[in-house]
Amino acid sequence: MRSGVPAHWLLIALPATVLLAFFVLPNALLLSASFLKSEAQQLTAEPTLDNYRFLFTRPLYLEVFLRTFAVGIAVGLIDIVLGFPLAYFLVRSRSRFKGLLIALSLAPLLASVVVRTYGWYIILNRFGFANDVLLNLGVIGERIPFMPSTGAIIIGLAHALLPYAVLTIMGSLNGVNPNLESAAMSLGANRTRTFFHVVMPLCLPGIAGGFILVFSIAISAYATPAILGGPATQVAATAIYNFIIQLLDWSLGAALAVILIVCSLLLLYAAARLGARRAAL
Amino acid sequence: MNGDHTTDNELSRRAFLQRASAAAVLGLGVRDVWGQRTDDLVVNSFGGEYQELFEKAVIQPFEKKFGVKVIHDTTGTSSQDYAKIRASKGAPGFDVAAALSPPEVILGAKEGLLEKITEAEVPNIKFTWDKARKALPPVAVMHTLQFDSLLYNKDKLDKPVSWADYWQPDKRYGAKVKGHVINYNPANLLSVYALIHAAELGGGGASNMEPAWALLKSQKPWVGVVVTTSAEAAPHFESGEVWISPYWSARAGYYISRGIPYGMVVPKEGVIANIDSASVPIGAKNKKLAYEFINFMLEPATQRAWCQAYFCSPGRGDITDWPKAFVESQIVTTQQFESVKLPDLDAIGVNRKDWTLRWQEVMG
Repeated sequence: MRSGVPAHWLLIALPATVLLAFFVLPNALLLSASFLKSEAQQLTAEPTLDNYRFLFTRPLYLEVFLRTFAVGIAVGLIDIVLGFPLAYFLVRSRSRFKGLLIALSLAPLLASVVVRTYGWYIILNRFGFANDVLLNLGVIGERIPFMPSTGAIIIGLAHALLPYAVLTIMGSLNGVNPNLESAAMSLGANRTRTFFHVVMPLCLPGIAGGFILVFSIAISAYATPAILGGPATQVAATAIYNFIIQLLDWSLGAALAVILIVCSLLLLYAAARLGARRAAL
Repeated sequence: MNGDHTTDNELSRRAFLQRASAAAVLGLGVRDVWGQRTDDLVVNSFGGEYQELFEKAVIQPFEKKFGVKVIHDTTGTSSQDYAKIRASKGAPGFDVAAALSPPEVILGAKEGLLEKITEAEVPNIKFTWDKARKALPPVAVMHTLQFDSLLYNKDKLDKPVSWADYWQPDKRYGAKVKGHVINYNPANLLSVYALIHAAELGGGGASNMEPAWALLKSQKPWVGVVVTTSAEAAPHFESGEVWISPYWSARAGYYISRGIPYGMVVPKEGVIANIDSASVPIGAKNKKLAYEFINFMLEPATQRAWCQAYFCSPGRGDITDWPKAFVESQIVTTQQFESVKLPDLDAIGVNRKDWTLRWQEVMG
């Protein structure tokens, strides 16, 4: 007679415990801190909604959230547009160097994001490579401060996160039978029509997955926005860091983090639903 | 049987040595990966140029004298270090917080996360500046002093004489200075002090910062670089991008000594002093050694070596044999220290968050 806990419960017990201990519990503490008052940088036991009221009534923080989500959407779209052709080429290529090409396209993941971001810092700063080239070509008359700016953050993150989009789309493209393309073309569809009416719809779950993955990492990214945006071009992660670490105001930092998590979950849920529906069509 | 004349169940000498070596390497590896031994003293301070100088002038002589190993944790600014102390409820993994600034020390005393330090633990505390002892809660020991000076590029600008030359650079230097002014986030105490100077220029002060915000708005179009930490500003001096900046006197002195074409001035309105202090978190593992380390930082020989290496003023006033050049640029006598303006630490502690938010609204 079999008795005791079902095997699938045992399988998920360990990851569930880890998630509970290192994700749910800290987030529960964060949530509770967001409803407590801070006085002179000290957390008190007095419950309050002031932290949320403060954040929702200051234009600065509305801007921070708008910038965060604009960065996430822009980076997601750029990486899908750049990643799809690359993934398509890597999947369909019959070159004997295919393995090497895949490794090369994913190589940026091997370097620290800080190192990659400083590469952009060297290129984009007022006395950097981009300004030197544009000045020498006579395109600009005086140096342009490309950074700190939201644009610089988008460029840096789009570069850093491109491999995630490529990997996800490649997974989806690998599942598309190439014979379907041949069949479509044998029935009279040209390459463009085959691509948009056969390949793309079948890859939608991968595209949606790639977008969601890149978007999620981009809206919570800290290092790249901190380096390319500086203290005056804040996104949610740098603002949270500023509250908790620099200003030692845990209540406002926690409230900002809770808003970010809730907004992200809602957007991700909407994107996942949309992706699933389009894929089912 | 095999060639070594052992059965399958027996261990050959070669196999034994291989396994023993692997175990030893693994053991050493684990220890190295794990890093710290329980008897090591962990001292937290700053990285960058500070690290090398501090290790040479303070840490290495301490290790030699006491025969112990010091692990130098160079991560974080003062507020980041205190954030670690707070998040760990006083057990941040370091035994000495050697670079806390007064706002963090005051908060640490209020939150009960720093040990009280008296003459019993640190005998040299009695030699520290009397005025500094009164300004700090008894959980920190002042070891050095800096002030907020004005740093300027001698190749590009005439010598500034007033804080107004920084806050209204266009009035003094004209259009050429556009994009070559730096501004700091008030998460850095340097920015707070500079804003207080701005408020004072307009007739205000720490209790009325409105003139500072007006000056910040008028300065913004001329600002080319915005950073948080003082270390982040250094590459902009080296590249020649920034021509005028408030800067800690010690770091300014250090960079000038390295040959960058910059000069440091004390503006006519005066400067505000920053007390560098050391504390022991309540959960520190090696408290006895931590107190010894703080005491050692105040020894005359250590003070001489460290202050001359880092261009900062000493934490005690009874050392008299300073070189002439050092005396001319630093605060070494009680009379000099009495004339130093210490900041209104309570006002800074209470208002710093609001000032930072206001700064962000202007600069964002």
